[in-house]
Amino acid sequence: MPPRIRLRPRTIVLRVQQQLPHHSHSYASLATATTPSPPIEQTSRFASPVLRFNPAQPPSHKPAEVRKTQLHRQYQSLLKSSPLILLFQHNNVKAIEWMGIRRELAQALKKVDDERTAAGSTDLFGDAIKIQIIQTGIFASALRIVEFYHPVENTSEAPAPAARIPDILPSRDDPRLTHGLSRTAYKAANKKGLQLELDPLLSGPLAVVAFPAVAPEYLKAVLSILFPNPDFKAPTRKTQPSLYEPDVQFGLQKLMLLAARVEGKVFDQAGTRWVGGIAGGIDGLRGQLVAMLQGLGAGITNTLESASRSLYFTVEGRRTMLEEEEKEGNKGEEKKE
Amino acid sequence: MITRFLTDVRVKFNPFSPRSKSARIFLSLIPPQARAEGMKIDAKMLPRTSTEPANLELKFKDGKEMKLDLDKMRLPEVMEQVDRHSRQLARKEELLG
Repeated sequence: MPPRIRLRPRTIVLRVQQQLPHHSHSYASLATATTPSPPIEQTSRFASPVLRFNPAQPPSHKPAEVRKTQLHRQYQSLLKSSPLILLFQHNNVKAIEWMGIRRELAQALKKVDDERTAAGSTDLFGDAIKIQIIQTGIFASALRIVEFYHPVENTSEAPAPAARIPDILPSRDDPRLTHGLSRTAYKAANKKGLQLELDPLLSGPLAVVAFPAVAPEYLKAVLSILFPNPDFKAPTRKTQPSLYEPDVQFGLQKLMLLAARVEGKVFDQAGTRWVGGIAGGIDGLRGQLVAMLQGLGAGITNTLESASRSLYFTVEGRRTMLEEEEKEGNKGEEKKE
Repeated sequence: MITRFLTDVRVKFNPFSPRSKSARIFLSLIPPQARAEGMKIDAKMLPRTSTEPANLELKFKDGKEMKLDLDKMRLPEVMEQVDRHSRQLARKEELLG
């Protein structure tokens, strides 16, 4: 902590000292090892707020310096930031096979990027999609927190956390700490009776492919490399010869697609393929919806018009009839005259 | 687990069933070189709604076939069953030289 320099005009100091006998009490909560208790003259006035930890590193449930805490934090951010996650099991894939798989995946994704650039799209995230081995237990715990712990978000006018928690003691049990690694989060996510949909899957060696957005084109590319089937055929030997190297193929045989998590919902293999098969992605779906609604609109206007049209015809028919009768009546009157 | 006497492994399971854990872990116990050395491994995953039990079919080098119902077995039991026959084969191999 940098040295604190108290700049106070001498006059104030004098006045404070005069007031001393009336308000000379100190706060026990302020007496910690890290910050010495303030001088006695300061306690009579409002004690300036002191933050006893780095605002970017609030106290966490498990020690912050260990790897598992950091992995937990990383997985939470991964789960929160990726609406589409594929879950694979990997059975003893060797390092050289991983290398080959990652290379082929990057190549396939780059191809999709190029196609999208040619089509004039600017949303390119081929670089962000990677296959990543996860620590299963930690991932399961992070998923529980993401699913079951929703702290009340303060409104935008709320100041930074440092200012919101003015004089907090570095205690893990403080309920005011609401970050994902806090003890509050841990307790909320570990209540009895909370069951994850993915729970039976979260055991054994797992790897995830996380997508920064639900993009069926990218999903299709990933599935055709990592888990090809007749719907998502792997690129041919001509277009991507390196995919057919024995190392890559042996590695791919050991990968199994277990499930996908799409915007919080869990899909099995067939469901994942269905998501990958949505032509044109979200824009395609929107287009379909618009076309459908337009068709519907035209139908509705026809139906609504038809009623008024028939009414019009009836009324019109009646009017002509009446007119004819009137004319005939007039003729009769003329003859009489 | 002794896997060098296995020639054919067929596993069928529904990954969403909590009882299929032993099937998945069994697959992860097969050594990395197994496929390259000629073991046939076929893992079939059932759709999520399926209630079919997880099962495992094995073939050994001496031709013995083994069918295990993984739904009711924990992994150590599965390993015990497989190893029992594999050990016999290992002993035979050792005696023949």
